[in-house]
This record gives sequence, structure tokens and C-alpha cells, in this order.
Amino acid sequence: MKRALGIIGIFVVILIYSAFFAENFLSGINLMQLTTRTALYSILALGATLVIVTGGIDLSIGSVVCLSGIMTPWLLIEKEWTPWQAIPTVLAIAAFIGLCHGLLITRLKLQPFLVTLCGLLLYRGIARWMTGDQSQGFAGEFDDVRAIALAKFTIPGLTDYRLPATVIPMVVLATVIGLFLSRTVWGRWLLATGRNESAARYSGVPTARLITLSYVACSLLAGFGGMLFIFDIGSAQPSDFGNFYELYAIAAAVLGGCSLRGGEASIVGVLFGVATLRVLQNTITLAGFSSQIEFAVVGAVLLIGVAADELIRRFAARRLERVGAAASH
Amino acid sequence: MNKLISLAALTVLGSTLGFGFAASSATNPVAGDLIALQKERIAAYKAAPKKRPHVAFVSNGVADFWTIAKAGAIAAGKSKEIDCDVTVEFPGGGLGDQKRMLEDLVIKGIDGISVSPIDPTNQAEVLSMVAEKALLITNDSDAPKAPRLCYIGMDNYDAGLLCGKLGREGCKGGKVAIFIGRLEQDNAKRRRQGFIDGLLGRTPDATRYDEPNTVINEAGYTIVGTWTDSFDRAKAKANIEDVMIKNPDLALVTGLFEYNSTLAVEVIKQNNKQGKVQLAAFDEGADVIAAIKEGFVLGTVVQDPYGYGFESVKVLNAFCKGDMSLVPANGIISIPAKVIKKENAEAFWKDLKAKIKAGKDAK
Repeated sequence: MKRALGIIGIFVVILIYSAFFAENFLSGINLMQLTTRTALYSILALGATLVIVTGGIDLSIGSVVCLSGIMTPWLLIEKEWTPWQAIPTVLAIAAFIGLCHGLLITRLKLQPFLVTLCGLLLYRGIARWMTGDQSQGFAGEFDDVRAIALAKFTIPGLTDYRLPATVIPMVVLATVIGLFLSRTVWGRWLLATGRNESAARYSGVPTARLITLSYVACSLLAGFGGMLFIFDIGSAQPSDFGNFYELYAIAAAVLGGCSLRGGEASIVGVLFGVATLRVLQNTITLAGFSSQIEFAVVGAVLLIGVAADELIRRFAARRLERVGAAASH
Repeated sequence: MNKLISLAALTVLGSTLGFGFAASSATNPVAGDLIALQKERIAAYKAAPKKRPHVAFVSNGVADFWTIAKAGAIAAGKSKEIDCDVTVEFPGGGLGDQKRMLEDLVIKGIDGISVSPIDPTNQAEVLSMVAEKALLITNDSDAPKAPRLCYIGMDNYDAGLLCGKLGREGCKGGKVAIFIGRLEQDNAKRRRQGFIDGLLGRTPDATRYDEPNTVINEAGYTIVGTWTDSFDRAKAKANIEDVMIKNPDLALVTGLFEYNSTLAVEVIKQNNKQGKVQLAAFDEGADVIAAIKEGFVLGTVVQDPYGYGFESVKVLNAFCKGDMSLVPANGIISIPAKVIKKENAEAFWKDLKAKIKAGKDAK
């Protein structure tokens, strides 16, 4: 939680600014849509976190989002599969992709950057080839299946705001991953692997299996996220769907307190990291800024957030050293 | 020995680079020279027509729109009176991808290329390179300053005007928002300006340009802005949602690229704004046509991509036989846009499906 304080602070500042300067920011419908977007991107960021914790990186997230997102309507509409066939198949393919990444990294000792960079090109290429580069959509069908992402639940006492269904997987996944990392032996082992893989391995930690598991989870979540994205958007084009989503996921994880060196993570921080990026994008539109400045603002906030986090950490470490030195005298 | 080989390799590399540089600086002719050069080539073809020309059709991206154009291009190549080899390329990775494809086609020895340039102003170099080695024409989006022999397509300003008039007919005033993938390309700029001028009932003037970030208050309409998304559909959807929240009294939206209109239909439906927020659409997205039939979208302005593909191949083939008679004096072969409303939506949809199928099956 301490690790998340920096990003929570930044989030609150942006929230206060938005509340005052962004028109209708606090309206129920805006908050509802912000919740949906945060939930969707959170699923990708949680997956990215599991890989970053091991000191690895997954650059293929956006392409897995594309492949699974494109495959879902393609199987349902073009191939006329039932949702009970299509959804498990797509998720199994995503998990298999993660397994391949994990095995290539741990058994063949290839660099995660390289393996997932190849994946980035490969999966998008497959999606484009498979669909003949045609945009895929639900053609007005499968509203009941799309409700997984589009349904909203009424909250007693609130008229404007309804809870988006995408919050459920976000909360469940964040809780499970949070508990896994902080309360289970395997979770602690995963963090230890990220901190110092050799030391963890010599201590008897099954590092190869854990790293493989983290890549499987990351791709599975990217696949699940891609499916939710297509349910939300309705149609997508294989050549651009999910482009750069890996960077949003990695940025949110880092902003949330994950170290790219591995061994450190805060699930609460990651959720706030995602929310910060989404609120920023929303505020730029509502406050009337030019949309061209969006990337610059996001980049600047990311840089400020990471720099502030590092400075606070150094300050805390020095203070701890001073206290320790004073106590020893 | 190794040193000698290295020295020789360096000398060869150095002289190649030197020659390349000298050649590129010496042969960087202006557009007029390159047009003259291409005309000379066509004149030479008159004396010795190319037996079976190989021409290419290059899109500016990947979409159903281009699949239909592909069907037209392939059909033209196979037709008895044309009879030439046709290569169709869809660059999915933006400017860089399109540049690479054009370079590769030229290296392959293509006779002529019809391209829809993504950013004509900044693609002068690659378009000149094509014109130096092959015959260059443009389709869909023009590059008037490039050394192209002609442009095939509609005038995007006129199509924008049609869309603006559609909006003006269905919405008598109020707040209006414009959504578009990107504004770099010529067709996007002209289409947007045409929409604004048509909506506001201005005297048409294709040279007019309203800045995208300024609010326009005119003729009872307030155009609150233009939002781009760089083809990220989640962002495109978020843009529409956010603008509707910022402006709860929004009266009219337009999506000037196909998916912008499709997403506008999606957002209008999800927020139960049917009939409250009007949509003047562009292109032939399935959801847009369905919404027109349902009656909550005013209509859509569609182009004839099949015609772009067919005419491109026909014109390039004629050039390779030494015939320039298909090109009018102004260099524009116009294939006008049309408006699809509730009454003609069904017939249009059937014809479109048949063309898409032909494009997918085309080899």
C-alpha cells in the first residue's frame, strides 16, 4: 500500500483538478464510463504486472488483445461457433501463447524482450491473415454475450451511476493477484524471483515454473481483456486494434509502483495507475484541451510520477539510514 | 588478406553510397519535369505498346472500403479490353508501411501505380521516386503537388458538402461535433471543411480552412470541435462518449471515417440517444446502414471504391499502350459520392455485399 501512495496522491490531484475544471466530470454517466475504461485497461495492466514482477516484459499484450479480440467475432459470426465454443477456445489460445513465451524464456533462455517483440509481430500478422484484413464485428447479434462487458447494475440510491459489469472481473482479478502476491508462498517466491533469480533458484524456488506461469497469466489476461474490449467496442480492424496497449499496461504498472527491475509490485497502485491515465484522457476532452496534446500530457505525468516516486523512495531510505545510524550510536 | 578484402568492401560501399548520393542530388527534379518525363514514356509506349503491363493499386490503410476497391482493380485486370497484371497492396502500418510498399513495387519493376497517399505533403520524395521509375496516379486522396498524371476519385470537399447538407436537412441548429481518424491526409481535411461549409450553408470554397481547435458559431450551429483518434477505436469511442458528456445538449455528430460513424451509432444506442443526437454519417459501415434502415441515422455519404479500383487499372493500362485520352484537361477523373438514406439503403446494402464478396475472393 505504501508503494501506492505516490500514485494515489497524483490521482487525487488530477481528480480535484478535473472536478473543478472539466465540465460534467462528476456526472454519473461520465464516472460510469470512466469506470468501464479503467476496468478494461486494468485487466491488461494486472497481467503486465505479473510479468514485470519477475523482471521480465511482455511487448505482445496489444497483439494478443488484437488476436483474441478479432477471433471472438470471427468465430461467432464468420465460423458460426457458439459462445460456449468460441470463448474457451480464444482464452485457451491466449494461455497457450503465454506458455510458449514462458518456455522460450525459461528453457531456451531467450530474452523476454525479444520473444515478446516477435510475438507482437506474429499475433497481429496472424490476426490480419486469418481475417483477410477485414474488420470483424458482431453485426448486431450476440447482445447477450456482449453484455459481459456492456451490462450495468443499478445501485440503490444512485440514479445517474450504474456499476459497469467490467468492474467484476477487475475486482476479482485484482483481489486474487493481490492475495497471491502478498499472502501465498508462491507469490512471495515470484517476488523473490524478480528480486534475484539466481538467489531464489539456489534457495529452492522453482523460478522457471513461476516465470512461465507469469507469462501464461499475462497472455491469458490480455486475451480476456481483448475479448472484453471487442464486446465493448463492437467491431475492430486487425491492423490497428490494440496497437500500443502493451505500453498503456506497462506505463500503468510502472506508474503504480512496479519496478521494471522486478521484485516489487502494488496491485492497488496499478489500479490507480490505470485510473490516472484514463482520467487524464477524459479530462483533456472535458476540460477543452486539444486532443493533440494528450500523449504529451500523459508522458509528462508518467515522468513526473516515476521521478517523484524515486525521489520519495531515496528520501525514505536516507532517513532510515540516519535513524539506524543514530540508534547504533 | 582480410585487410585487403575489408578495404575493397569499404571502397565499394563508399563509392556506392557516394554514387547514390550524387545521383539523388543530381536527379531530384521538380514535379513538372517528372510529369513531362512520364508523358515522354507514354509517348514511347504509343510506338511500342507494353504487351502485358503490370500495374499496382496501393491503398492508404486496411478496411472493407479497400476490399471493394481491390475487387474493382482485379476485375479490371481480368476484363478482356484491359488485360494486365494487377497487384493490390494494403499498408496496415501507416506512412512508413506505404513508403516501403511503393519502394518495393518500383524495385520490382512495376509499370504504373495508383496510390492513395496518406500524407501527400510529406510524401513528395517517395511519390517523386515512383514517378521517376513508373507511371504515377492517385486515387481516393489526391496529391495535387506531386508529379501524378491524374487523380481518380471524388472530390472530398464535395463529399463533405453532401454530408454537411445531410446534417443541415435533419438538424436545424444546435451543437455539432466532428469525429475523424486523423487530419493529416488531404481527403480528411477537405472532407471536414466540406462538411462544415455544407452544414453552415456557406458558399462552397474548397480553399477555406477552419482550424480544428476553434469553436465555430454560425448560422444557428455551434461546432464544438474536431476530435481525432489515430485509428485507436477504444479512443475513438471514448472521444464520442466524452464529448456527449461535456455537451449534454449535443444535437448532431458526424463521423468522417467509416469506423467513426459506426462507433457513433454504438454510443448513441448505448446512451439511448436515438433521435436526440442526430448522426450524419460517412461510408458504409454495416451498423450505420442498419441504423439508417431503423431510422435514427440521417443518412450516409458513400464513395465508389469499386470504381476507384477499376478506373485506376483501366487508366494505367491505357497509359502503357500510349493512350492518355481518358484523362480530362484538369487531371481529375471524377467518380462522385452519393447519399444513402432510408429509401435506398436496402438496395445499396445488397450490391455492397456482393462487391465485398468479390473483393475477398479476388486473387
